[in-house]
Amino acid sequence: MSSASRSRRPAPTTAPPAAEPRSSPAPAAAPETRPREKRPFLLDFFPLDTPDQTRLSAFYDRLRTGHLSTTRCPKDRSLHWPPRTACPDCHTEELDWVDLPELGKIYAFSAVLGGAPLGMESEVPFAVGLVDLDGAPLRLFGRIEGRPWNELRIGQAVRVETYDIGDGRYFYRFRVRD
Amino acid sequence: MSVRSVALVGGVTTKFGVRPATWSELAQEVGAALFRAVPDLRAEEVDSLFVGAAEPERFAFQSHVAPLAAEQMGLRPTHIIQRTELACASGQSAIRSAYAAIASGLSEVAVAVGVEKMNLPSMAEASTAMGCVMDRPWDGPHGATAPPFFAMVAQRHQLEHGTTDEQMAAVSEKNHRFANANPTAQFYEKKFSREKLLHLPLVAPPLRLGDCSSMTDGAAAVVLVAEERARQFTDTPAWIRGTGQYSNFHNLAHAGSLTDWVGLRHAAREAFGRAGIGPNDLDFAEVHDCFTISEIIEYEMFGWCPPGQGGRFAADGQGDIGGKLVVNPRGGLLGCGHPLGATGVAQAVEVLQQFQARVPPARAVPDPEWALVHNLSGSANVHSVMIYQRGGAG
Repeated sequence: MSSASRSRRPAPTTAPPAAEPRSSPAPAAAPETRPREKRPFLLDFFPLDTPDQTRLSAFYDRLRTGHLSTTRCPKDRSLHWPPRTACPDCHTEELDWVDLPELGKIYAFSAVLGGAPLGMESEVPFAVGLVDLDGAPLRLFGRIEGRPWNELRIGQAVRVETYDIGDGRYFYRFRVRD
Repeated sequence: MSVRSVALVGGVTTKFGVRPATWSELAQEVGAALFRAVPDLRAEEVDSLFVGAAEPERFAFQSHVAPLAAEQMGLRPTHIIQRTELACASGQSAIRSAYAAIASGLSEVAVAVGVEKMNLPSMAEASTAMGCVMDRPWDGPHGATAPPFFAMVAQRHQLEHGTTDEQMAAVSEKNHRFANANPTAQFYEKKFSREKLLHLPLVAPPLRLGDCSSMTDGAAAVVLVAEERARQFTDTPAWIRGTGQYSNFHNLAHAGSLTDWVGLRHAAREAFGRAGIGPNDLDFAEVHDCFTISEIIEYEMFGWCPPGQGGRFAADGQGDIGGKLVVNPRGGLLGCGHPLGATGVAQAVEVLQQFQARVPPARAVPDPEWALVHNLSGSANVHSVMIYQRGGAG
């Protein structure tokens, strides 16, 4: 799984270790060292990812090491998306973290050619799609990079990519495989 | 608890469009218009107010809008006052809540109002507000808003069923033509031929500008009463005979088939079951054409045509006057605009006006008795349906 950076802000020079399943202590995050943008929370789609803000900070820590992961229920083995703090079926709150497959195929796609939300205007046009992950019963929505939108096709192979959104926080997207 | 019948006895819609008016001013305007349209309505007998408003916090920087709307409209509800929020179906939610309140005996006379102010100086801020309808921390950061989602729906429908851009344009042409006979519509004075629609700019391929409903300011209000009070207001009320609703996912990962709207089939089955009629008994329907592809799939899910044949149904004029049933004679969301909280209420106003034969001939449904109103919300993950019967003879 590749990890890329955008150039708006420097990426952290050292990435924290991947979080272990929930029973392990979460790795220490250091939000005060990150040069965050001044966008107000209520105008920023990207989530606050630190342990003081979310019980899913391990997800973001794992993104930082290049791994897209989610939770799985140890009782009924159901795989969740997005990751959860409680199983929607049996309601246990003791869940395992598992890495998701790196490869997938486009199920449907389109592109945003106008009317993008705040902070995304400069990225127009950008492609988005639903991707069936290889070997996992999940179809995830996300950005698709690596080709102009009008060169994408249904069934095209993509790989998961994690990236620094520009202020030290990490997120995930898809990139067309060469 | 016995359930009693509930009638819709009056209603009104403001001009929809890019309005030089604030949220509160739109509420005042629709209140004044309501009392003019329903002269027998006395403010002091309105015991309950339900306010459909999707995102006043985002679009108007305003919460606690139910008492604000009451004050703007000159109402002092004594029984129930609340806002209903269900994104694009917030207006129908207000009506459903008023219906439940009256049917259960908690209310005698209720007003359901929908208000939305969507046009902001910054289009990006308005798009940000729309993006919040999705699962914000998961789908939002990718740039998920309604157009790219429904574009994927259209792409899959084209792939699976051979639906064409021309068939989608047929939906838009019909609804814009009806809107040309509706002075409250945002596009009342704008003509759109199929040829013109097919050459408008792409918004989210394959959807072009004419395939998408717009950002709209507007308000609408209706009066609902218990059955014993209906005659006080009109000889031709619209009786609520059935309603249904279904929610089956939120995060886009759980959408499943993009073209088989399971939730709509469930909601329709519940509503038809309660009303004791079937899809072929309807004379017209106000359905949620937020995008052209939505109306095409709705033809199929309601059972007016076989699955996959919605595009052909549109191109053949089966949803037009003279077709199988008239769909969106008001002009739809495509022609009227889509002020989120107001849309569902404005559709109900159309039902009443069609029943009372108070619409221009160009969009008049001949002698209607049964009508259906449908709203989807978000990424078509929730469907809300109501069925009305014209009162009068009995």
